[in-house]
Amino acid sequence: MVAALSSAEDERGKQLYVNCLACHGADGSGNKLLNAPAIAGLSEKYVSAQIMKFKAGHRGGDPRDAAGMQMRPMMALLTSDADVAAVSKYVASLESKPIAATITDGDPEKGKALYMTCQACHGADGKGNDMLNSPSLLNQHDWYLVSQLHKFKDGIRGANPEDITGSQMRPMAMILADEQAVKDVVAYVQSLSQ
Amino acid sequence: MLEYFLPRASSFAGSIDHLFDIITYLVMFWFVLVLGFFFYVVFRFRHKPGQKAEYITGETHKQKMAIEIPHYLILVCDLVILGYTFVVWHEVKIDIPPHDEEVRVIAQQWAWTFEHAGADGILDTEDDIVTINELHLKKDAQYTYHLSSLDVMHSFSIPVFRLKQDAVPGRVISGHFKPIMSGEWDVQCAEMCGYGHGFMPARVFIKSAEEHDAWVAENTPDHLKKDTAYALTDSETKEAPNNG
Repeated sequence: MVAALSSAEDERGKQLYVNCLACHGADGSGNKLLNAPAIAGLSEKYVSAQIMKFKAGHRGGDPRDAAGMQMRPMMALLTSDADVAAVSKYVASLESKPIAATITDGDPEKGKALYMTCQACHGADGKGNDMLNSPSLLNQHDWYLVSQLHKFKDGIRGANPEDITGSQMRPMAMILADEQAVKDVVAYVQSLSQ
Repeated sequence: MLEYFLPRASSFAGSIDHLFDIITYLVMFWFVLVLGFFFYVVFRFRHKPGQKAEYITGETHKQKMAIEIPHYLILVCDLVILGYTFVVWHEVKIDIPPHDEEVRVIAQQWAWTFEHAGADGILDTEDDIVTINELHLKKDAQYTYHLSSLDVMHSFSIPVFRLKQDAVPGRVISGHFKPIMSGEWDVQCAEMCGYGHGFMPARVFIKSAEEHDAWVAENTPDHLKKDTAYALTDSETKEAPNNG
């Protein structure tokens, strides 16, 4: 009985993912041209939380966040908590695959020192920690990591008072003093995926 | 005729409706007349005892007149439609009256950003009120809008205004409208703009001047309000940039 229900939920998640794959790809590896990050293999809890944030406008609710706003209408398609859970489970079940680097002028050595702050939540291996609401950073597009760090720094993401976990990232991103620091830490994160 | 299905909430909605009415009634008149004539002759000259159905090639002058006269009359109707189209086009698209209020409309995949001018009525100042998918307007105020797109082509459409204007990347297109009816209505994208095109609806809220001003005040930070204890004085405002 439980197995049958679980199987039905899996099928539902796969059906709902049809709405996502136009941008995120059938394998969840993302697409830079459509501002879509890799989502394959992200934890079910994190994906579900982000979907709920997009639905509530806590993420993608800043007029400066043009890429984040692209997610708003997609969230309208998930009309129940069960649908959110189903699609999150499906996304989490996709296999995370290595992603080619596009930013080449970051220094992973310098980034390693900066990553000391990040590893408290994201882990020394970058795999994230559901208990601390931190996602995995592995096999993620470098341009996406850079853009999100800038959004956290600029108060475009994590600035909504309702976005508790997002607001945890803001002061962390603020320690990256300049563009080069952002690139360095992303270069180090990319090296963790290899 | 359209107002029975959709209210007219802008000053020029009536003109658009009249144009549609003229086109509809003229086309309907000729449609009914031509089909009526067609069925009449089919029935009148059908084969029956003592009468043979005849195939007419329509080459004689008299036969041609049956086509030519309606043809020229329809051309006259076309000119009437064309003439009224120019009048309406000028009213809606060309003749932009001086505005009481300005609003910037930014289209993107797949949302609308509206920049309201705020209490000072001037865009690009600190008290601008920026909203996503919510356009707030003051009833009976003449608006100028500035429409742009961040990515691909969209079309800014407010059906109750009978307004539809393409948003073209790289261009800022200005136009006007004057809301004449309070209420809450749909704003939609009327140009296929990608995967989420069908899911980028917005709403327009038209309120009386008092209600709209209250909304503006509610969304203006205290330090930008001129009549509160938090307001910066003129000298503080001038000094602010020097403080760091």
